[in-house]
Amino acid sequence: MSNLREATILSVHHWTDRLFSFTATRDPSFRFLSGQFAMIGLRTEAAPIMRAYSMVSPSYAEALEFLSIKVPDGPLTSRLKLVRPGDTLLLGGKSSGTLLTSNLRPGRRLFLISTGTGLAPFMSIIRDPEVYEQYERVVLVHNCRTVEELAYRDLLTSELHTDEWIGADVAQKLTYIPIVSREPFENRGRVTDWMRDGSLFSTVGSAAELHAEDRFMVCGSPQMLSDFCGIMDDWGFAEGSSNRPGQFVIERAFVDK
Amino acid sequence: MTYVVTEQCIKCKYTDCVEVCPVDCFREGAEMLVIDPETCIDCAVCEPACPVDAIKPDTHPDGIKWKELNERLSLIWQEVTVKSEPLPGAESFAAEAGKFEKYLKNQLEP
Repeated sequence: MSNLREATILSVHHWTDRLFSFTATRDPSFRFLSGQFAMIGLRTEAAPIMRAYSMVSPSYAEALEFLSIKVPDGPLTSRLKLVRPGDTLLLGGKSSGTLLTSNLRPGRRLFLISTGTGLAPFMSIIRDPEVYEQYERVVLVHNCRTVEELAYRDLLTSELHTDEWIGADVAQKLTYIPIVSREPFENRGRVTDWMRDGSLFSTVGSAAELHAEDRFMVCGSPQMLSDFCGIMDDWGFAEGSSNRPGQFVIERAFVDK
Repeated sequence: MTYVVTEQCIKCKYTDCVEVCPVDCFREGAEMLVIDPETCIDCAVCEPACPVDAIKPDTHPDGIKWKELNERLSLIWQEVTVKSEPLPGAESFAAEAGKFEKYLKNQLEP
């Protein structure tokens, strides 16, 4: 792959024994749009191992942040989970991805639907002031198996509200809905069931019903993406792209294969 | 699984895909592009980027058919990473059927 560059790990945070995040230095020439992914990886004795990771950090941030699962015996994550501040991270030169508001037709509410590490690109988008200029309400759904997998929950529920740049927008326009599927929690179940029975929409302010001007971005497990696309088919919503903006865009949460 | 470029690309070559590919896996011939299956990471970003729906998963009925062609030509053709103008008359060729037989098959056989 062309243009591999080096970054330095700045910090590592282990959320659970299966989930961690880390930050790395950002070369000013590395450009991306909030919501995009890039190839990151590590050198090994053999060839570098590179995988696609969404940036958790917004496009304007000075450092890059990534969220990762730890796959037992995963070629990259079994090494990546051991990184420490000062270690070298490899970064591909090119960022890409479908989770861009420019791939959606103008709308009023934007639903960002994620499972597991699929939260990552949306952490970037909800910290980009642009999304609050484009939408009246932004709804971030994070569906996990357990409560401790709800990464960035404190940031989302409190710290972001006092952010000097986007705090006011977040407080006014962002709704964060954590949902847990496998243990007791205030919100139980699966997000796709919440969409089908309408409870997702009733949690969001006055316009409780699904609205023709609702837009969706989705990132998560293959199963969730498949269920979601079935719902979009039933509702007659079309997938958007840069050529043909639509009502929803999807991206898988990349897993270590 | 990887993605493959199907017959739909022939005589069109819009090249929107090459700009969005994070691993630069597109290879360019005179009439069409192909995907190097060894490089493709199956991220699916190129699929909706194609204005003529030429890119399919290799598990899709339309994709399976062109898998071997992508594998074979990606070994010969050169990497392309920069978008260029579509081929002249791309719009009129976009919906045409049987383009492989008509325009490419003879060029590939010695």
